[in-house]
Order: sequence, then C-alpha cells, then structure tokens
Amino acid sequence: MLKRLLMETDFEKLKNLVSKVEDLEIMEIPGFDDRLSRLPVDLNSAGFDRWGLHPESLRRFAPFMYILYKKYFRVEATGFENIPDGRVLYIGNHGGQIPLDAMMVGLSLLLESEPPRIARAMVERWVPTVPFVSSLFTRIGAMIGDPNNCRELLQHDQSVLVFPEGARGSGKLYKDRYQLQRFGTGFMRLALESNAPIVPVAVIGTEETYPSIHNFKQLAKLLGAPYFPITPFFPLFGPLGLVPLPSKITVRFGKPIYFEGKENEPEELIREKVQKVKEALQSEINAGLEIRGDKIFSGAAK
Amino acid sequence: MIDSKKTTKPKILITGASSAISRLVAGALSPKYDLVGVDPRPAPRDSHFPGEFVVADYHSRRLDEVFQKYQFEAVMHLGRIRESQKYSSQYRFQMNVIGTQKLLELCKQNQVKNLIVLSTYHVYGANRLNALQLTEESPLRASQSFPELVDAVELDHAATTFMWKNREIRTTVLRPTNVIGKHIRNTICSLLRSGLCPKIFGFDPLMQFIDEKDLARALILALEQPQAGVFNVAGEGVIAYSHAIRHANAVIVPLPPFISSGLVRLVAEISKMNLPPYLMEFFKYPTIINDDAFRLKFGYQPKVKTVQSLKNLGTPADRRSLIAQANLDESV
Repeated sequence: MLKRLLMETDFEKLKNLVSKVEDLEIMEIPGFDDRLSRLPVDLNSAGFDRWGLHPESLRRFAPFMYILYKKYFRVEATGFENIPDGRVLYIGNHGGQIPLDAMMVGLSLLLESEPPRIARAMVERWVPTVPFVSSLFTRIGAMIGDPNNCRELLQHDQSVLVFPEGARGSGKLYKDRYQLQRFGTGFMRLALESNAPIVPVAVIGTEETYPSIHNFKQLAKLLGAPYFPITPFFPLFGPLGLVPLPSKITVRFGKPIYFEGKENEPEELIREKVQKVKEALQSEINAGLEIRGDKIFSGAAK
Repeated sequence: MIDSKKTTKPKILITGASSAISRLVAGALSPKYDLVGVDPRPAPRDSHFPGEFVVADYHSRRLDEVFQKYQFEAVMHLGRIRESQKYSSQYRFQMNVIGTQKLLELCKQNQVKNLIVLSTYHVYGANRLNALQLTEESPLRASQSFPELVDAVELDHAATTFMWKNREIRTTVLRPTNVIGKHIRNTICSLLRSGLCPKIFGFDPLMQFIDEKDLARALILALEQPQAGVFNVAGEGVIAYSHAIRHANAVIVPLPPFISSGLVRLVAEISKMNLPPYLMEFFKYPTIINDDAFRLKFGYQPKVKTVQSLKNLGTPADRRSLIAQANLDESV
C-alpha cells in the first residue's frame, strides 16, 4: 500500500497544495454564502437553530473543510438526483477510525447538492466527553445517536445521517475494509415511524486513510473510547501518524428505498428490511470499488 | 365600588413572595385576584407585594392559619429555595421537600381548585447521555451525580405524584430552563452579571434562557387556562454558553476540565462567586428542554429574544440601584 502511495503521488501537485494551504486565510469559496443562506434551517436571535447548528461556525470552518474536501481527499460525489425532498434517512458504511466519512457526506451535501442540504450526523455517545470535538460537532449539526434525537429531527423534516454499524464499522481493521459489519436495527423502526425514505450512501476511500492493523482494546477501555487503532504510522510516528493518508474519496448516493410497516413490528420483520438496506448499500459500495479499481490514491469516481 | 368587587375576587396564595418572579406574577395578577404572599424571608424593601404578605416557613403551623382564613381558589408554589452556598442542604430539604408536602396537604384539605408548582430543568441533570431535546418523559438524572440537587428532584416528584393522586385538583408543574432578567438573582444571572463567567476549557455546551417576563407570562397562562400536567418551559432558543457570556458582556474564566467539587468550592470561597459544584456539569454537557407540549396546550410563545434578554441583564451596580429606586417593572 505504501508503495502504491509513493507511485501514485504527484509531487508537483503536492507542492501546489502546500502553497494553497498557505493562502487559506484569504481563500473564498465561490457561492458558499449563498449556499449557506439557502439551507433549510430556522435560526433564532443568537444564530443557532433548534438543535444547536450554527451556520456562522460553518462559515468559519469552511476554508479548512473545503481544502480537505476538494484538495486533500479530492472528493467526488454522485447521485444527488436520487435524494428525495423533505425528511431523509441516509444510511452509510462506516470506516476509517475517525468520522471522515460523515464529514465528507455532509460536505458533499452542503457544497455540491442542489438545493444545498444539511445532514445531521448521529455520533457515538462518548463524543460529548471529548473536549472541543463535542462543541464543534454540535455547531455543525451532529448529535449523539439517541433514538429520541433521530425521531425529533425526522419529525421536523430534517435529514439524518446514520451509520448503523457504529463503532463496529469505524473501528474495524484494514483487512475487513468495505465489508459491512452487523447493522443496528433502531434506524429502521425510526424510518417506519416517521415514514422517512432511506437513501443508502456509500463512501469509498476512507478505509485507506487510517489502515488499522490492530485494535488496542485494553487501552481503549482505559480511555473510555470504543476502540484504539494501531496503524503503520500511529502511534509509531507520534502526532504525525495522525495525519490521514490522502486516498481519493468518492461518495455515492443510491436510489431511495421506501418501506411500509409499523415501528413496533417483531424484530424478525425489521431485520428483513434492514437486510434489504444492507444489500443495497453493499452493492453501491461494490459498484464504487469496481470503478475505482486498484488506484486508491488517484482512482476515478465515474 | 372597589371594595364590593374585592370580596368577589378569587383568592390566590403565592409562595416565595419575596422573589422577583413572584412579584412579577403578583403585579400582573393583582387587578383580577386577591393575593396573599408567603415567604420565609421578610418582604423585600424595594417593592411592595400587592396583597397581604405573611412571613412563614412552608412547614409551619402559620400556613394552616392562612389557609383557614382565606378560601384559596388557586395556589402558586413558586418558592423553591435554590441551590447556593447561602442555604445548607438540610435547610433546603426542610423547606423544599417537607414544606412542599405540607403545602400540598393543605391544598387537598382546603379544596383548592388549581395548583401551580414551579420546578426547574435542573431535575433532568446534565449528563452526556441526555438526548439533545429533553421532553417531560425524560429520566430525571440530577440526583444521580449530585446529591445537592436531591431536594429539587424530590419537590418535583412530590408535585407530580400529587397531581396523579388528586385529579380533582388541577395541578400544573412547570420546569423552566435558566431564568434570567434584570430582577433575577439566581446563580447563572449573578455570574453573567458579575462580568466573570467560569467556563470549562474545551467545553461549550448549548444552553437555553427564559426571560423573567416570559416565565411570569407562562405562570399566568398556567393559572388562567388550567390543564393538569408536567410541562417544560423554555425561552426563544438555544445558544452556546460562550456566546451567552459574550452577549452579557462578561469575560470567560477558564477552568480545567477535571476539576473536583472541593476545588470548585475553594474557588467559589476565594472569588466570592456563587459557584455550586453541580453547575460544573451544566457547563460541560447540554441540558436542553423541549417545551413543544406547553406551547401547544397553552398557546405559549416567548416574546423576549434571548440575546436581548442577555444584553439587558445589567451589572451588579445596576441591580443595586434597581433596589434603591424600588422600580420593579411590573408590566408583564
């Protein structure tokens, strides 16, 4: 993998990138203010929405996020035409140790979809205990994956991004990449209850950003974290090892799936429906992987 | 003419009559009702209570006499003793739990028609497991981490149990979020007004604030269109704590994330700040309440914008001059 990284790296481009990062301060994202103003959010006098989203914070972080999205991971997103209007439950594959996938899905909807959308990501329950991350996540629309949060958002016609694999998906090892882990079933009951269509969203490329070779469970337990990855670079190279590898990321929004039924159906029936979502998502992932081929750092998206 | 009308006006008992909220409510109610105020503290010098004022503990015999003297139509129990270093936890338990039980018993004995109890959102507790929007059904986690808050939880519990057991008395329990306003002296108000606000480094939770006038309005709504139930009452919307500090013209005093309650007490002692240790959790995790039910059933709509309300808090000197001028603004 390392060899591939070196083979595919275009050093001229990298130099350009560095100079661009230096210009970060003066960078303006074309049409970003307009997109922000068109977001379907209802703000109070302090500039926050009902769930703590703060577009002003989004604006402040925008240049950094834009560089990460456009230049570092060179994200290509497809399938926006599949997203229905109104409430939507996005179901994604989770991978790559840190929620880069959630960030890239959210950014693709914010920066590229028409009309601009905001996806509220459901995060791990330990996130509120992490300094800085906790408040940052709230400002950009994320919240803990409590069923009550998800229900509230869907009932208010918001769209929610859920990774039903949870930490099982994001913490898995490199050898298991792009294999969907066991899905939680709570999201399906919530989708049935609020009559929300499910849009499978496949994220290709995040699994290669932090290739975990071992999960140091004892240390994770000590830190109160769900897992602690050991990669070829972390913790060996210290903080430098925390820099994600610049794999090319593609985001694919699949066709919406509509389910009929009641939220209090027996677990077997719910599991059948969840299986359908899982299959749809896996086929979306496989299609994406096929297009990318083995060019992890420069592959195509279409 | 006034005298003949006075005899037919319904009578209302308001507890905590020395507090700013009670006086705001009393000021708005006095044209239509005969009011009796009761408080263990003497009547404040700065403002006249529009009605009879009785100094009494809520669990004392004195309260029996008051109930016998007047046939109260409604009782507004607004006199919860708040958590602060000023009162010991034993005293607060005595007043808030034993006192409330006594008051509820008296309501039952004297066939009061309508009871309104002012609880607090603190009963939900600040916890990382809290849903972002807490409804009235959410678990009350407060006493789990802070036994100091047990009296608040018990008061709430006593009132809700009373509501279910005595359906003939329409009981409305209100759980308001942080109350702020230029007359209010609670902990969060004093901190924001003092110009120095402790904030835990790395944590900036969402908060809600309700203006004193909006809370007074909510209490009057609960009195005038009585519906039994437990209801959250919030203000306009959420705001990050650091933004609230900025709007109140205060400065952030960063505290380390892993500060022990003992150290908090020490800091409070040295700086003369009112800084109860349980508050640290509220500075770490959001405790946002959902008041949709109250808005829907009572047609409540907060009128004061959060930012405006924070800006109007004034300084400690402003508050002192307010007391000196005795100009409690009673237009709710």
